[in-house]
Amino acid sequence: MFRSLDSKLLKKSLLALGLGAALTLTGTAQAGQYGIGAKATPEEIAGWDIDIRPDGKGLPAGEGTVEAGEALYEQFCATCHGLFGEGEGRWPVLAGGQDTLTEERPTKTVGSYWPYASTLYDYIRRAMPFTAPRSLSDQQVYDITAYVLYLNEIIEEDFVLTKDNLASIKMPNEENFFVDPRPDVKNKRCMKNCADPKKLQIAGTLRGITPVGHFVEGADAPAASHDAQMEQEQHKEKVRKATLKGETLAAHGGSAKAALSEMATAGKSTYDGACKVCHGSGLTGSPKFGDADVWAPRIQKGMPTLVQNAIKGFTGDTGVMPPKGGRVDLSDKQVEEAVAYMVESSQ
Amino acid sequence: MSNIIKGPSTRELMEQMARESEHLSINDRRDFLRKGVAAAAGMAATTIAGNSVASEINKANLPPNEPAWGKQLGHGVVEHPYGSPSQYEKHVVRRTVPWLTADSIASISMTPLQDMQGIITPNGLVFERYHGGVPQIKPDEHRLIIHGLVERPIIFTMEDLMRFPSVSQIKFIECPANGGMEWKGAQMEALQFTHGMLSCCEWTGVPLKVLLDEVGVKPEGKWILAEGADGSHMSRSIPIEKALDDALVVYAQNGEMLRPEQGYPVRLLNPGWEGNTSVKWLRRLEIGDKPWYHREETSKYTDLMPDGRARKFTFVQETNSVITSPCPEKPLVQKGFLEIEGLAWSGRGKIKQVDVSFDGGVNWVSAKLKGLVLDKALTRFSLVTKWDGQPWLLQSRAIDETGYVQPTLSQLREVRGGNSIYHKNSIHTWKVASTGEVTNVQIT
Ligand code: HEC
Ligand code: HEC
Repeated sequence: MFRSLDSKLLKKSLLALGLGAALTLTGTAQAGQYGIGAKATPEEIAGWDIDIRPDGKGLPAGEGTVEAGEALYEQFCATCHGLFGEGEGRWPVLAGGQDTLTEERPTKTVGSYWPYASTLYDYIRRAMPFTAPRSLSDQQVYDITAYVLYLNEIIEEDFVLTKDNLASIKMPNEENFFVDPRPDVKNKRCMKNCADPKKLQIAGTLRGITPVGHFVEGADAPAASHDAQMEQEQHKEKVRKATLKGETLAAHGGSAKAALSEMATAGKSTYDGACKVCHGSGLTGSPKFGDADVWAPRIQKGMPTLVQNAIKGFTGDTGVMPPKGGRVDLSDKQVEEAVAYMVESSQ
Repeated sequence: MSNIIKGPSTRELMEQMARESEHLSINDRRDFLRKGVAAAAGMAATTIAGNSVASEINKANLPPNEPAWGKQLGHGVVEHPYGSPSQYEKHVVRRTVPWLTADSIASISMTPLQDMQGIITPNGLVFERYHGGVPQIKPDEHRLIIHGLVERPIIFTMEDLMRFPSVSQIKFIECPANGGMEWKGAQMEALQFTHGMLSCCEWTGVPLKVLLDEVGVKPEGKWILAEGADGSHMSRSIPIEKALDDALVVYAQNGEMLRPEQGYPVRLLNPGWEGNTSVKWLRRLEIGDKPWYHREETSKYTDLMPDGRARKFTFVQETNSVITSPCPEKPLVQKGFLEIEGLAWSGRGKIKQVDVSFDGGVNWVSAKLKGLVLDKALTRFSLVTKWDGQPWLLQSRAIDETGYVQPTLSQLREVRGGNSIYHKNSIHTWKVASTGEVTNVQIT
């Protein structure tokens, strides 16, 4: 470090002497004050530089069609965002909502709210599909972007979206964004008789929507997290079923967990990272983790079949299981372990 | 979520007690279960502030008796190589509002402000906000690339970053959606949910300016795109002025390496600005001449106004404050001497003054600032008084060093309507009943 500080001093005195150019010539690739870090190569940068701007800067070569996008969207996106972008359950709505921004309950979507089409390409490429980010090719992202724009009636059915025309697509709400004008509200520091007590209106809370069993006496007691909540519900469900059958159940989280095989134990992290997003809650018709009744008929198929279906993908009576849950980067062994973990935890 | 849990049945209560007694010694456990059964039988289970039946007082441990822990030995060193809080503090945890988001992987949890002391949030209780869950990043395989309009694009290892001279600063982080559930009306019957998207830590790292000097920003460079390494690759455009002013690239919080939840091994920290701009798991900073308008600065984190237009780049977290004691989780239980406490903070600098009102904002008295008063940090205030069972409408109002006075809810709504989601920093009201119960109300 002292050396690099010295070199800064040196640089200063050289510059004073009009010799700056000489230093640049003799200097190393990093001529910063500290000389820490390595030169980032163009290849390194290219692999990570995925961002796109409204003016089209950053768009990769390629083009996409609404037609190709439809098939891909239905395969990779519709389970959560709905066939027409209407959003399943509480998953985000992607289309519609035009002219609702001044309403009591506005619907903010790509079409009704987003100012630029580039944002859509950028976001799908960096973050979607939710369960398998960075898994789509640039080509597929063009197709799907075209389809989502079509769902929002921004482009026609036969439009071909390209690197060169994406930036020229005008989004309906573009003009309606403006830079933060705050501070926009000016309160004064008044100390006495600042308001007329007779005119004050007091409104309480809507009871029943706060998950605050942790402090209200005798109230409901939801858990602290989605997961814990789910576990709590699953446990209660088990207890309820057991009671119906006249059985008593071991304490919560009892012996079942301890009995996991080595393979199942190894599968937990794969499950958490790749499968839980659907199987944790039963999303899109998937058999819910821990629900013995739902799993029983499936388990009867035998492990080899289940593992094959998980690896290759499977369309049954309740929904679509994508190959490896959409995570094609997983090894067959990892999927097998995850299936073991799911099966053993759902018996 | 529709899955509201019903109050516990006797059997569930028994099971719960069996679980809770697992950590006790054999003697204690027998005692505990006996007490518990009595409680369950009478269904006299009081649950205030998260203390379940387990908190019932065992007289055998009170003077003049020698308590159980004085008659036996405790555990030795490194039984817990990384310690955790007392088993009696289990209710002090982050909590979420499950109906807010579709999934816990892209969601938010809140800090239990009602149980915090001083101004520092312990690492395990810092509020969480993820868009693609918490990545498990191996630090020696993590890289930070700085490129774009620079003289020398550089790739840093964690070791590189930690070689730079470091700074440590206490700063708050707040999600701009803090309080956002209450724009249209009071909804949340707990401080943790009305204000808990807020934490304050001592952060250690390198000023971003130092790194920018190292790469040499070209004169055209006006904006910086910060991007995360997690599955959501969260990205935000930051004006270069902020980067050169007080932004930090941090790798430690409260004396230890960042928690995975907070961006391990390295994150950006934009003091006083929307928490979302302090990108976690930071892997890339690109210098450009214009903003990028990515999803988190268009679809989200823009503020919709009543006329249908929307504010963009609403970076600053304006002056805010809240009384943390009493609050719904900490009702008043004793008459007489009372210290009212709370937290105040401003994204524009230091807190100058906090006033407290007992009558819903008609009359105000000055509170005292306690302990450290730092730039863009939580600041604790206190007011000593007496409570004799009279009902109160308690409010706090903060003023920062720029002279900005925390606004009323009516003032905010008048300008911004009820659909802007973010940046609700209005004066908050707790209604204190003559029973001591504290509830969340809005005064307009
Ligand atoms: C498993 C459910 C799931 C699947 C499948 C999925 N998404 Fe998403 N999507 C989400 C979630 C959750 C978010 C919000 C993430 C957040 O808030 O950080 C989201 C957000 C989005 C948004 C931004 C919405 C907004 O209003 O800001 C777009 C656009 C989007 N997804 C497109 C897609 C596309 C295109 C696909 C298919 C390639 C896809 N998604 C697949 C769950 C999913
Ligand atoms: C996008 C949602 C989704 C993800 C992610 C997902 N699954 Fe599935 N899975 C499903 C659905 C839906 C079904 C039910 C299909 C049916 O039977 O109709 C299913 C069924 C299954 C089955 C039962 C197959 C059978 O033959 O009955 C197994 C085993 C399985 N999944 C394993 C996995 C594993 C392992 C992962 C993670 C690597 C995973 N799933 C990730 C949606 C998903």
